[in-house]
Amino acid sequence: MLSYVGQRLVLLIPTAAGMVVVTFCLLLLIPGDPAAMLLGPEASPEAIQRLRTALGLDASWYMRLGDYVLRLAQGDMGMSLFQNEPVSTVIFSRLGATVELAVVALLLASIAGIALGVAAASRQGTMIDVGAMLLAQLGVSMPIYWLGILLALFFSVHLGWLPAIGRGAPLPDALLAAVTGEPEVFVNFLSHLFLPALALGANAAAVISRLVRASMLEVLSEDFVRTAHSKGLRPHRVIFAHVLRNALLPVISMIGLRFGALLGGAVLTESIFGWPGLGQLTIAAISQRDLPLIQGITLTFAILFALVNLAVDLIYAAVDPRIRLGGVP
Amino acid sequence: MRAIVSAPLVLAAVLTATTPGVSYAEMPKAVRVGIDVDAGTLDPRLARDTTAFRANDLIYDGLVQLSQDLKPVPDIAESWDNPAPTVWVFHLRKGVKFHDGAPLTAEDVVFTYRSIIDPKFNAPYRALVTPVASVDAIDASTVKFTLEVPYAPLLSYLDVGIVPKALVEGGRDIALKPIGTGPMKLAAWQRGASIKLEANADYWAGAPAAKTIELVVIGDNTARAQAFEAGDLDLIQSPLSPQDIKRLQADRRFVPTVQAGLGITYLNLNTADPILADPKMRRALAMLIDQKTIVGKIYEGVDQAATSILLPSSWAYSPEIKQPDFDPEGARALLASLGWKVSNGDGLLRKDGKPLKLTIATHSEDPNRVQAVEFMQAVMKQAGIQAEIQISDWPSFSTGYVQQGKHQVALLGWLNLVDPDRVSYGQLHTDGSLNWGKYANPALDALLDAGRQSLDLPGRQAAYRGAARVIADELPYYVLSYQGYQRFHNPKLGELQVNPRGYLRALVAPAK
Repeated sequence: MLSYVGQRLVLLIPTAAGMVVVTFCLLLLIPGDPAAMLLGPEASPEAIQRLRTALGLDASWYMRLGDYVLRLAQGDMGMSLFQNEPVSTVIFSRLGATVELAVVALLLASIAGIALGVAAASRQGTMIDVGAMLLAQLGVSMPIYWLGILLALFFSVHLGWLPAIGRGAPLPDALLAAVTGEPEVFVNFLSHLFLPALALGANAAAVISRLVRASMLEVLSEDFVRTAHSKGLRPHRVIFAHVLRNALLPVISMIGLRFGALLGGAVLTESIFGWPGLGQLTIAAISQRDLPLIQGITLTFAILFALVNLAVDLIYAAVDPRIRLGGVP
Repeated sequence: MRAIVSAPLVLAAVLTATTPGVSYAEMPKAVRVGIDVDAGTLDPRLARDTTAFRANDLIYDGLVQLSQDLKPVPDIAESWDNPAPTVWVFHLRKGVKFHDGAPLTAEDVVFTYRSIIDPKFNAPYRALVTPVASVDAIDASTVKFTLEVPYAPLLSYLDVGIVPKALVEGGRDIALKPIGTGPMKLAAWQRGASIKLEANADYWAGAPAAKTIELVVIGDNTARAQAFEAGDLDLIQSPLSPQDIKRLQADRRFVPTVQAGLGITYLNLNTADPILADPKMRRALAMLIDQKTIVGKIYEGVDQAATSILLPSSWAYSPEIKQPDFDPEGARALLASLGWKVSNGDGLLRKDGKPLKLTIATHSEDPNRVQAVEFMQAVMKQAGIQAEIQISDWPSFSTGYVQQGKHQVALLGWLNLVDPDRVSYGQLHTDGSLNWGKYANPALDALLDAGRQSLDLPGRQAAYRGAARVIADELPYYVLSYQGYQRFHNPKLGELQVNPRGYLRALVAPAK
């Protein structure tokens, strides 16, 4: 088991290296000069050229890439052009907010998706099934951007129940406050988190619910389910102890895959809800052409995605003992 | 010309400039303001975006401040005189301290302006103060500016924040950790998310009523408007979407301010392009711009249809100077006189067998500009022009395209036009640093030089009207609209004085 985790972690290195090269090349292709952005429109061409040289933007692309990879190997992601701080420091200061949002969104999506899928499959053909799948259809079709605006319009502007922007205390602080007798801090944390997490998780919830339903229907038609029913087990027990456990296997890997989409969606969600995470930072970095920061953020997202998929594989093995984690698949 | 300002007058002017017409006790302790983009830097010498200007205005003091009607009024400089046309002497206010407690002296002012005029420092503002030959300290509280030539707009450009010489020379990065003498201090800056400012209790004009002002970045206009409606923000201002402006104007819970702003939206016609080099061709294209429909339908009347490069609020404005009207038939005739005719059945204009191709470009961040460009494309196609559009994000559009002179027709804007010089000299003088369309006209150059060097208002007025006439006739710029300025605030802030640049000093009136 440990060796499996070790091997998977080692595999992260070529994945990350691939990411670095692809991002680097993409950034070479997009127009827009960081030096000109830094100096503003009134800067003279000579001044822009001087800064380009100082930033190393003049060197050939392979020299720049080589230099970047060498530094990265030493744990140095470079300096942000606009913030004059190490990229790693800038990213770490924002990572918590995005992870918090993505994890809660994934949790919400998983709970809602599984509940909807189970309800639909166990009452196939009824109004509950139709209603649940209609909801899923809506969730799949609505762009995050639009849903976010609608949610804020309804819950914040019309009802006034929840704040439209901002973030409460960070999760650890909120939890600590909750147990030390300051529940209002925790409530404030939840009230800020709910709408962005809902907007971000809705699509994943819809996808998960469809998969749970399909997977459950498939398992429901198998012999062992008929056997369980004929043994006189209660329908609830059949569903939860036998059907769901088998139907969830493909769902678990789907949840892992959705995490990548969630990180992408976080960029949009954070900018609508003023959530101070990596997504908002990504937009600022791109609009300023802060190349080292864009590279750093992309690499961080890639590593996060790979780690979550590793976690999913481990959970997969725990749920299904038939899967052995002896070697790298 | 000699202008000596007396002390009581100074005090009155400063109070007018910094106090809103409400009882200050009403100002809440914490004020949250929605903004569209983060500041690029908090070093006032290097600022170039609206947020940086607005935040720096709170953190720093300039030699002067521009009043509501854009007149220079005393700030750090208590008074000034102008003993010769090329000499300006500023007498500094005493007892002004930086946020770290160090006193502000003439050396700080000299250091600030010497760095701005130093070409190596790359200050965006340098282009506006190029006539300044030297800045010297006469004594600890007197500064002398010596100019190469008389320069009328100078005072309007001296509101740049004064930075502490000792700290900057000591290596402090004030772009990230600013220290000024202004009413607010930087408390925290989360890049791309928020700038939190706290009151400077030792401010020379009295401690501000608001204890904190947080500038919260919400990039999307509608999301920002919603956050305001939900009560999460106390004040929002331009840029706002026309649809949101209409809704907020009708909402009685908020205090609306909708008035003329200090910006234009214009088409930059690249005169270095072979097709657009001929002024008649530029005129024909201008006659194909349905300005009324664009301003009325796309901007929903929030902006105003422009007549020339001069803002209606400016002393230089004249309604008699007019760009060509929308006239498709006239345009067709003009194009025909230039040899562009429909020669086969496809309806396309051709000359020597080649179709008339044109690319109109803008940036993707502003949906109204994108819509305007799409509409112009449709009208031009109807007229037989093979019009294409090109939309890209701001860095690609600005640094990689327009500023490189790669465009044919580009839709963009200018803000903060506090003086007619601000929208003409850099942009359309042959040697102008912002002359991306390479327009060169000695007659216009002479008028723009005269506008800078005449020290009396009638002389300047005549120069800029002449310049505006040339521009409306030759059309290196076609000015589409005068941008409106909109602000909405929560009534709990009281009646706030309006600053068309969106500066927020009205929030920091001294506490009572």
